[in-house]
Amino acid sequence: MTGHDVVFVLVGLLTAGGAVLTVTSKNLMHAALFFAVTLGGIAGVFLPLAADFLALVQIVVYVGAVAVLFMFGLMLTRAPIGREALDGQNRGLAMAVAGGLFVVLSTLVIGAFGDLPTAEVTGPRIDDLGIAIFADWVLPFEVLSMLLLAALIGAIVLARRETGESGEELTVTRIEMAQDRDPDALEREQAALTSGSGGDGEEHA
Amino acid sequence: MQIDFIAILPEIILTVTALLVLAADLALRGDAKQFVNPLAGLGTVAAIIATVALWGSERVTFGTMYVVDDFAVLFKLLFLGTLLAILAISWRYIAEHRFFQGEYYFLLLTSFIGMLLMPSSRDLIMLFIALETVSVPAFVMVGMRKRDLYSSESALKFFLLGVLAAALMLFGMSMVYGFAGTTDLVGIAAAISGETASVPLLLGSVMLVLVGFGFKISAVPFHFWAPDTYSGAPMPVAAMLAVASKAAGFAGLVVVAFIAFEPVADVWGPMLGVLAVLTMTVGNLIALQQRDLIRLLAYSSVAQAGYILIPFGLARTGPGAAVVNAAAIEAVVFYLIAYAVMNVGAFAVAIAVERRTGLRSIADYAGLSGRSPLLAMGMTVFLLSLGGAPLTVGLWAKFAILEAIAVDITLFGIVLAGFLVVNSVIAFFYYLKVVRTVWMDEAPAGLPQLQPGFNLSAVVVVLMVGTLVLGVLPGLVTDFSSVISIVAAG
Amino acid sequence: MAIGYYFIVSALLFSIGLIGVLLRRNAIVLFMCIELMLNSVNLTLAAAARMWGGPDGQVFVFFVIVVAAAEAVVGLALIVNLYFRRGTLDVDVPQLLRW
Repeated sequence: MTGHDVVFVLVGLLTAGGAVLTVTSKNLMHAALFFAVTLGGIAGVFLPLAADFLALVQIVVYVGAVAVLFMFGLMLTRAPIGREALDGQNRGLAMAVAGGLFVVLSTLVIGAFGDLPTAEVTGPRIDDLGIAIFADWVLPFEVLSMLLLAALIGAIVLARRETGESGEELTVTRIEMAQDRDPDALEREQAALTSGSGGDGEEHA
Repeated sequence: MQIDFIAILPEIILTVTALLVLAADLALRGDAKQFVNPLAGLGTVAAIIATVALWGSERVTFGTMYVVDDFAVLFKLLFLGTLLAILAISWRYIAEHRFFQGEYYFLLLTSFIGMLLMPSSRDLIMLFIALETVSVPAFVMVGMRKRDLYSSESALKFFLLGVLAAALMLFGMSMVYGFAGTTDLVGIAAAISGETASVPLLLGSVMLVLVGFGFKISAVPFHFWAPDTYSGAPMPVAAMLAVASKAAGFAGLVVVAFIAFEPVADVWGPMLGVLAVLTMTVGNLIALQQRDLIRLLAYSSVAQAGYILIPFGLARTGPGAAVVNAAAIEAVVFYLIAYAVMNVGAFAVAIAVERRTGLRSIADYAGLSGRSPLLAMGMTVFLLSLGGAPLTVGLWAKFAILEAIAVDITLFGIVLAGFLVVNSVIAFFYYLKVVRTVWMDEAPAGLPQLQPGFNLSAVVVVLMVGTLVLGVLPGLVTDFSSVISIVAAG
Repeated sequence: MAIGYYFIVSALLFSIGLIGVLLRRNAIVLFMCIELMLNSVNLTLAAAARMWGGPDGQVFVFFVIVVAAAEAVVGLALIVNLYFRRGTLDVDVPQLLRW
């Protein structure tokens, strides 16, 4: 075990534990905090992978911005602390699906990459990375700037409250749902219809 | 590194236009704000001219990341033409409903920049960024009717499913990168064909990447967002999602499937073929029961995506595959062009009817022939064409698919053709139901005459003429779409 | 330590995220779980980048992080907007839209 391995095992456990707690915490604020821990753990995993730059970006963007954004979101929506229960009906199914996926993925991954040499590679230096981004990948980078601007403008559009300038004055669009005529063909559609909004006809809020 | 700016000129023009629109919106006040629409239209026309100038040349720039060939040019013209139509049908709608106009047009243009990039991308990173540039502004535009609960909910649903699909696709892409060591599509193809035994992980990753595009084109297991999102979104945005965004998904799917994953076409070909059968059957069966016109169009567009997926089911690898694959791509491109013409038209009529009356259930179209003969004619032509009636472009689009099947007849191809024919017949039931309501039923008393504005009438007339002219002379498009086979060789 | 372990951690993270997507009902937490899946993608890419050397993989991760941040902005704006209209973020509450 080298120093890298020790770091990896420690932050790997931290990351996995944080992720499990994010998914299982009933208190939403706790879930967000564990989410931040997981993100920090990922930054830690980047270090033994010789991706120092990514570790920094991960901390600045994810831990520093995205996680905080999520917490603001939870507070703005006055999250019911400790009230949200997990969906009990689907628990077994979810566990089975995800567990199966994990087993399949890891066997496949080991089959594909397990026997690859693991020589000590020093990752690309940050200046190489900079040159790569601004020379080889300059087109996606520039498009990304448009995408970020669009996200910014979009968030403003959605958040801004200005009388008379946010769409028409309707509360709910009148939409006539499908008639339930053919029971065999469309079980899903049907089940959702009966449980969701009470059959055919017009929908009102 | 030398950058070929001519090759990306259409994208540059659209970007500049988007920023100008944003600036103009700041400068204009009140009712004058609606004049950002013609500004965006001018930019689009300029981009169309720049794109037409690229026809016939093959330009490669940014390393090998960005290729402008006839295939890409044809797709770009499809997107820009759709953009022009959507701008025309947006003008009144967006101005009257008091949306944030400058922001709306900015987001619309940004989304189309992503679409223009899609058919030219020859790199996983570029494809991913292009796909997200299409999606993120779309998430916002769907939610722009903020006062409408339905719009907010459908936007959130669209968003969550979209991000989930992106995550699945990225996981697949990351595995493909881990496998090939490059994000270049041609390099990936080389790495895959260099492998002697098929690696299960690789095939799984290929499936995951296709899932991401399957969401964009609303293929069946991933179509749940489509009807709700179309009916919740502002109607021009629904038209954009149903036509342009779907065509962008198909452009990306063609590029990634026929270039990067061509060596494993034996695996994804049949899978996409099964997906095609599921998509058209489920889409058509649910569409039969719809009573809201937009939801009907949504499910019909799901079914249409199924038809367009059929040529993908024919794809194969090995000797003689190039001919089959080229024919398949040709059929996809021709069908998409036909689909854009007729579906944008149908949405334009729906907007014209809803804008005055706020009505959108099929029953509200009763007696449309009396209230506006132009719109009634338009609706009839577009719906019959979507169904594939003679004398419309829809028939030739279906012929193009059958032609691709006939290049090398296999049992699977015959099964696909059978499903295509049966589904076309089913589809006629609901298309004709609407047509009957429009012409036969009495209009409810008290409904006003409809007088669509100049823009809407122009769009409906142009697209109607286009549908009919192409229905008689499909060669106007096939002459161009038949020379784009180079993508299969790449 | 073999590079395979890094892939296993990322597969684990992806599966945990998927459990969350299937189980959680609050839209924000649901979104958080999708972000977990995106992070597992980043981990896979970084591990693959280490395997192959060269900057491409790391550039990919960088782009994914930026896109995820943009999506987070838009997504939370949508979620908060919906909360002000509907008063709950439970995706299972009987509603107009059917999942």
